[in-house]
Amino acid sequence: MARYIMLINSEHCMDCKACVVACQQRNGVPYGFHRNWVHETKSQASACGFKFQPGACMHCEDPSCVAACPTGATWKARDGVVHIDRSRCIGCGSCIEACPYHARFRHPLTGTADKCDYCMGSTPGETPACVAVCPMHCRTFGDLDDPSSAVAKIAATHKLVHIVPKGSGARPTLAYLETTTPASLPAASTVSHPVEAIRPFSKVVTWVGGAVLAALAGTFVRQLVKPSEREDEEIAAQAKKTEAASARQEEDKA
Amino acid sequence: MMIRRHSRSAIFMHWFNAVCWLFLLFSGFALLVGDMQPIGQWWRNLWVALFGERGLLVAHLLVGSVWVAVYAIYILTSCRREVLPFLREILHFKPASDLVWCFRKGLWLVLGPKVMLKMGVDPKLPPQGFYNAGQRMVAVLAVAASIGLAITGVAMGYFSGNVSWALGENALLWCIVVHFACAGVMAIFLPVHIYMAALAPGEGPALRSMFTGFVPQSHAQHHNPLWFASLKAAGALGGETQEQHSNVAQKG
Repeated sequence: MARYIMLINSEHCMDCKACVVACQQRNGVPYGFHRNWVHETKSQASACGFKFQPGACMHCEDPSCVAACPTGATWKARDGVVHIDRSRCIGCGSCIEACPYHARFRHPLTGTADKCDYCMGSTPGETPACVAVCPMHCRTFGDLDDPSSAVAKIAATHKLVHIVPKGSGARPTLAYLETTTPASLPAASTVSHPVEAIRPFSKVVTWVGGAVLAALAGTFVRQLVKPSEREDEEIAAQAKKTEAASARQEEDKA
Repeated sequence: MMIRRHSRSAIFMHWFNAVCWLFLLFSGFALLVGDMQPIGQWWRNLWVALFGERGLLVAHLLVGSVWVAVYAIYILTSCRREVLPFLREILHFKPASDLVWCFRKGLWLVLGPKVMLKMGVDPKLPPQGFYNAGQRMVAVLAVAASIGLAITGVAMGYFSGNVSWALGENALLWCIVVHFACAGVMAIFLPVHIYMAALAPGEGPALRSMFTGFVPQSHAQHHNPLWFASLKAAGALGGETQEQHSNVAQKG
């Protein structure tokens, strides 16, 4: 099974944003929205006074967006790619809120969540648009488990750096080579309110519902073995007997 | 002698509701994933195997839409004749007596009247009207949950996606939570209703009345003495009986 990842050499990026435009064009992303980005950070170390950091969905291990989706419309495939099934997405925005990289948005035409899928939805099997158009060859995409692939060769010879928003606990698969600026992103939450409330409530339904079913099953068996109605009849018969006995006693006394 | 307890339309709506509710509850839970799945992953896998990933959501939406539409028609056409009297009946609470009924009925079923007498608890139940305390409580919950499920379900199904009238993300997020909360509450109380109505001892005639519409006079006298007394006071006991009903049908 393949294990797809993207590697980015952000030190080569010149902020031309060809990757952003190519992605919009290939994936039909409307004007004003984007699946990928280039972060700009002021830096004295750079000749132009800025450092650039291209990015996109990080296709995280154990993604918070997947955990936040109540309908299973977004999932992580075995090849490492995080997908969205538009037919099952109700556009609630839970995954958008849960992504600490803000890599998702609600597509204004489909009304569903949208994000980078390595162009697998629009052009399956082809090199992602952002990788194909980059004039500086910043981005490399491929199967990490295939030793002959470019990503596997680069990963073997470079230190891989991951950027993680503070406090998010995210485990991105998209990696930068050697160094990148910024080294980390501002703190971000992976909790999606109020959908998060479903989790504890679901546990309550499981346990209380289970206890109710067990109690009903126990009561059903009890009524089969020892019906309360028969006990009622026995109590009534006993009461009648006692009544008759006391009446007889009174008669005897009389 | 039999007394009419349920109209034909009420019987139809009850069973229509039962079928829809069970399907929607089971398929709805199957839509949930991960920690939100209250039954287990096997439940989701089972339903996905039957309907497919997309088919499950479509089937849930379809049955839910039919359920809402049929109920809307029923409420509009039978509001004064059946819906309002039903709501008046289920909202007629007598807290002290109702709590005693629930407590004693529970003990009667679980421990039995002999143990109750040993504990010093009188097994005699407070007299009940058309519905007993348990039926009224579950009915109120069912009505409230149905309203919640219908509103949030319609919102998620028809006011989302690529339509100009789509609700905002926050509203849809709350719809999911309210939808699940309503379904969760009913998932807990529905088995109680099914046991009490179909399996509990002495409820046979009441269950049969949900098919025939008629209940034996002796059963009503024993289980619903207040309703029976009100029928007697109104002189309604000599009204429509099953015998007369079948005679009319034969003549027709």
